[in-house]
Amino acid sequence: MQFSFTSDQHEFAAGLREMLEREFTAARLRHVWESGDGHDPALWARLAEMGVLSMMVPESEGGLGGDFVDTVLLVEELGRAAAPGPIVETMVVGALALGGTTWAAGIVDGSTPVTAALLGERYVPHTAVAPLVLVAHGGGVDLLDHPVVDGGEIEGLDGGRRLAILTDITGGTMLSADLDRLTDAGALATAAYLLGLSTRMLAIAGDYARDRRQFGQPIGAFQAVKHLMADALLKVEFSRPAIYRAAWSFANDTPDRARDVSMAKALASDAALKAARSALQVHGAIGYTWECDLQLFMKKAWALAPAWGSAQHHRRRVADAVLGPR
Amino acid sequence: MDLRETADEQAFREEARAWLAAHVPAEPLPSFDTAEGFALHRTWEAELADAGWSAVSWPVEYGGRGADYLKWLIFEEEYWRSGAPGRVSQNGIFLLAPTIMEVGTDEQKARFLPPMARGEEVWAQAWSEPDAGSDMASIRSKGTLSDDGTEWILNGQKIWASRAVWADWCFGIFRTDPESSRHKGLTFILIPLDTPGVTVRPIAQLDGDTGFAEIFFDDVHVPVENTLGGVGRGWNVAMATAGFERGVSLRSPARFNVAVERLIKLWVRIGDPDDDTMRDAVTDLWMQAEGYRLHTYLTVTKMLEGGTVGSESSLNKIFWSEMDVRTHELALQLLGPEAERLDGPYESWVDGFLFSLSGPIYAGTNEVQRNIIADRVLNLPRA
Repeated sequence: MQFSFTSDQHEFAAGLREMLEREFTAARLRHVWESGDGHDPALWARLAEMGVLSMMVPESEGGLGGDFVDTVLLVEELGRAAAPGPIVETMVVGALALGGTTWAAGIVDGSTPVTAALLGERYVPHTAVAPLVLVAHGGGVDLLDHPVVDGGEIEGLDGGRRLAILTDITGGTMLSADLDRLTDAGALATAAYLLGLSTRMLAIAGDYARDRRQFGQPIGAFQAVKHLMADALLKVEFSRPAIYRAAWSFANDTPDRARDVSMAKALASDAALKAARSALQVHGAIGYTWECDLQLFMKKAWALAPAWGSAQHHRRRVADAVLGPR
Repeated sequence: MDLRETADEQAFREEARAWLAAHVPAEPLPSFDTAEGFALHRTWEAELADAGWSAVSWPVEYGGRGADYLKWLIFEEEYWRSGAPGRVSQNGIFLLAPTIMEVGTDEQKARFLPPMARGEEVWAQAWSEPDAGSDMASIRSKGTLSDDGTEWILNGQKIWASRAVWADWCFGIFRTDPESSRHKGLTFILIPLDTPGVTVRPIAQLDGDTGFAEIFFDDVHVPVENTLGGVGRGWNVAMATAGFERGVSLRSPARFNVAVERLIKLWVRIGDPDDDTMRDAVTDLWMQAEGYRLHTYLTVTKMLEGGTVGSESSLNKIFWSEMDVRTHELALQLLGPEAERLDGPYESWVDGFLFSLSGPIYAGTNEVQRNIIADRVLNLPRA
């Protein structure tokens, strides 16, 4: 029994964090949101070059052949940076669905982002930047190449996640992929992304609470603020081991995989909403402004908390596993 | 990362399970907060010790098995699953012993640990004072060195001393430098409760039992050899204990997993399957207990790889204590009118509810823990 990551896994994640902190600042994130299609091709190329996008692509397709345990810390770092674009859909769901096909090459070299709508979502994210779309069809998974979207692109709450409606999901290529496994992968990767995002929001709130003074002292010295943040940290830190455990369950395809993934996503979604609300409250009116960078992270959290199944959806799946189906 | 148990860990688990199945009393013992129950729990501790199960993580020479913390967690899982009695020696084995191992002399280890493991000497803790509760650094009970320098002469009062009514020894911190204030000038001292000048006055708890007591010290003489960790270093020594207490050892996850499993059984038996709110609430508690278990495994792996448990242990303390209250609140809600009966078939849930309410208070209130998290984990400015 050993519940820890290898030094290689830690080092890869640390390298990614360093690159993102240096190159992908909040100012650059804001620029991506406010101009163009919510995608940063230069960042995407950088992630491809580092091997981040190809972590889960099999070695036979030029990827690194990693499993979910190798990947989970990387997704967490991308969440900490609120990296835009179809991160989860490409590097996890896409890599699992398309590994072993010729399409995998476009993930490895960064040329072809992939997106997905495997839960029958009405609004499909990232279609403007991802030509390949994975959809659930007839109990399996189809790949649509440049599908037609209805009525053009829709602006969403999260500027790094533009939406569209697909009216016709027929005519795709049937893949030999397990739909349940892919939806679990999407939920778990989103949970890991949310964990990074939550950590970042609390860090931003902590910086503000140390800096902002009222009544002659930093507001972080007031117990009301301390306890607000401690409670949010509690939720975030108790989601962490559930996410790491689910990564192991996924990598080893254990019988409890679905339960563990759902527990991770339920806790991560709830924690992210709590972190966002707490961080906003710590900021006061400044947090309610467009210019405050916190909004970029909060809106990402609000968009992703329900994505790939809400906390409630996943809690019910845990209930079915633990208490028996209804 | 490998979350499977090794063959060695599995064998250890099976050995513990088999022994417990053969030895755990068929009928639950009376509460150890009663005279009769205390004596029976003491006998149980000796039985555990005879088979080497009393303190599995201790070195063999002091009565343990030299097991690592993962095995200790495995033992705890089997222990709570088996329905074995509560540990009357817990203050000694789980709180004091780690401190003795860390800062005690070889003589102290040899003198105190074996009888502690055997339940021959049961320990009470003596931290709080009437004016030093959450603000523990305002301790006023005094220790004065005798003229010949061989004894401490103790005067003052401790309160909320769990197990003190029937225990043999207590440990606490005393102000040994009269000029000092706050965290300085305190010394950690071990005191036999039958020493002349010690008066123990039981306090009836919310549940009616006398689980804790006041201890009065009136010119109590104890040898200076009973100093643990150096004169004037009492605060640091006490904090080492408190960190371990909150972090890992005080409440291992298994008791909460077992409590939630009982709650699930109760829900299956008497819950309304169409009541989604209750179904969700029970599921949330299952996730919390499971989350606490995973968090503990993460912490223990970190310790085994050379890390330490710091202030983040305060997160654990808040988490398990609030989860325990919620588990029992939910059970009482499920029980409806039955929850009012003290002697009915669901007595253990009512007792457990009252006991759970002490969790957010003892071992440092949860408000103090939130301050610690904010100051030392989130690095917010001190008030």
